[in-house]
Amino acid sequence: MSGTLIDFCKQLNPTPLNLPEALLKAAKDGIEFQHHFPTTRDEAWKYTRLGRVSALKLSPVKINPSADPLPSSDSIDIIFENGTWYCAQPTAGLHIDFSGDIDSIAWNACTLQGHVQHINALTAQGGVAIRIDANTKLIKPIRIIHRLNGEHTGLILHHQFVLDNHASAQLEVIFEGLGDDSYENILFDFFLGVGSTLHTDMLQQTKGTHYGFHTQRIYQRKDSTFALQTITANTHFTRNEIEVFSQEEGTHTQLYGAFIGQENNHIDNHTYVHHMAPNCTSDENYKGVLSHKATGVFNGKVKVYKDAQKINAYQANKNILLSDQATINAKPELEIYADDVKCSHGSTTGQLDQQALFFLRTRGISETKAIDMLINGFLAEIVGAVKSSHIQEALHTLLD
Amino acid sequence: MLKIDNLHAAINGTEILKGLTLEVKAGEVHAIMGPNGAGKSTLASVIAGKEDYEVTSGTITFEDKDLLEMSIEERAREGVFLAFQYPVEIPGVSNVNFLKTAINEIREHKGRPLISAKDFLSLVKQKSSFVGLDTSLTSRSVNEGFSGGEKKRNEIFQMAMLEPKLAVLDETDSGLDIDALRIVAGGVNALKSKDNATLVITHYQRLLDYIIPDFVHVLYDGKIVKTGGKELALELEEKGYDWIKSAE
Ligand SMILES: Nc1ncnc2c1ncn2[C@@H]1O[C@H](COP(=O)(O)OP(=O)(O)OP(=O)(O)O)[C@@H](O)[C@H]1O
Ligand SMILES: [Mg+2]
Repeated sequence: MSGTLIDFCKQLNPTPLNLPEALLKAAKDGIEFQHHFPTTRDEAWKYTRLGRVSALKLSPVKINPSADPLPSSDSIDIIFENGTWYCAQPTAGLHIDFSGDIDSIAWNACTLQGHVQHINALTAQGGVAIRIDANTKLIKPIRIIHRLNGEHTGLILHHQFVLDNHASAQLEVIFEGLGDDSYENILFDFFLGVGSTLHTDMLQQTKGTHYGFHTQRIYQRKDSTFALQTITANTHFTRNEIEVFSQEEGTHTQLYGAFIGQENNHIDNHTYVHHMAPNCTSDENYKGVLSHKATGVFNGKVKVYKDAQKINAYQANKNILLSDQATINAKPELEIYADDVKCSHGSTTGQLDQQALFFLRTRGISETKAIDMLINGFLAEIVGAVKSSHIQEALHTLLD
Repeated sequence: MLKIDNLHAAINGTEILKGLTLEVKAGEVHAIMGPNGAGKSTLASVIAGKEDYEVTSGTITFEDKDLLEMSIEERAREGVFLAFQYPVEIPGVSNVNFLKTAINEIREHKGRPLISAKDFLSLVKQKSSFVGLDTSLTSRSVNEGFSGGEKKRNEIFQMAMLEPKLAVLDETDSGLDIDALRIVAGGVNALKSKDNATLVITHYQRLLDYIIPDFVHVLYDGKIVKTGGKELALELEEKGYDWIKSAE
């Protein structure tokens, strides 16, 4: 394997963000200790090879820390375009900051600390910090669009989204753009206050031999609700790591995902839900459709802590392989230390339903259209949970 | 309209149809009866074009065209319709959406303009009330959570929407209550014209009280072994199939 993690970081950004000292130290120690990128001998990277990533020659994206104004529209737009931020005027109760000062709420709870998060901590070039005041219910959705073009670019962002108690919001996060041999490492920390609600739809649709690493860490306080729909559409390489900390009673977490891969695409979804408190629910549903030589990974881990009674944790993963050469590696993991819990998980992988295909064709529908219909039908549960009209539209063009 | 001549068809190397000959003319209703496993559904599947079956010899022509040369969807667009013995459930695919696509693909094939949203909706309304299918079912996913009888009605609803030339109904009467049976039969009769034809596969003489066949055929061990008028159905009901076997 080529370059070390330290070398890899050096090419990205020499001046890190203003992160808490302890975090930076942990990242530094972690990278020095690991030294090289993980190999497939590492359990967390068993099915995702990083050889190509470690060999990438990258130049960092220069980021303009202040944001140019955008006209208002039916969403509150925050657009990142090749280093420049554009931002709509925030509405009452909403604060948007690009300075890169990330405050340190609950840092100590972060356990998701692999090389991806270490690289992010040490080389983040910027990010947006969003805060919604207590009791504020945003009417317009917030829409963050990342648009990056160019080859051999390395984009490292660290975003933070804080909902104060009883706030509610809808968020759309979109990744698009084109770039061969580019690297993207985007981290989101979500802090959900007591009784707050956040609905997030995410679309990953970058083009080119682009390597995307996405981390979302979610900290949920009492009675908060977090829903995330992650749609990954024909990306060359995507690794999603989602870690949820249900820290107090009465939380609800929904993690939905749809991933569509073709050609040599590789899409890897790792999720980890920590049920640390009683009377909480989590509902996880991932669906994959892979064609050609595409590969997919689903690894869903749920841990129910000792005193976290009356947990209802549901996890499902279903995949359709459209070719003999497409593969999926799915692994649900349950770790349960409480005795009064309801947990279920299941994973299935199969081909398109041939009976259904025959049926549709006997009604006069062409084979290709019938296949599209069945794929749409298969993904309907996930796509139906997406509230973002922007993402819905993108999906319609993609799936029809 | 439909001419089947000395048809042999096999699945996984097992011959199921063993020299079947049948002719259906426009305006006619034919009934096919026969014991379980005789090959009735196989015949229906081969007419519809199911690729699992291998036609080893014989011919099928539909309106003087070679049906066996056509793809599944081409057959449908030419006017062949199969009501399935076991309708499939398709989660996530809405009944009306797929029907709209189907109607438009058929129209496109015939060089006719696409159906407008408004015309389509009124067609759905008209046809669903005609076959007694609850309108809430028309917009749900195809057959998902439908009762057995509702699935069968849905097949007839699709037939009414697509207006085929040749409808093959594979045990559409099984699992229907008497009211539903009347409705389904009424639907078939109302769609009957001098230009189309129906092939009804059934086990029960009862259905033929409502859909009066011009011919009744007995399919036995992959062949039509007896043909008669509607009185043949009564005779079969009375004597069973042993009588045919020994007469053979
Ligand atoms: N995949 C298969 N491989 C081998 N034999 C098959 C296969 N599918 C069907 N058969 C056989 O073909 C024969 C005819 O089946 P078919 O479904 O056409 O009968 P049918 O006349 O419609 O019977 P029923 O009245 O029970 O509906 C049966 O003996 C059945 O077991
Ligand atoms: Mg049958």
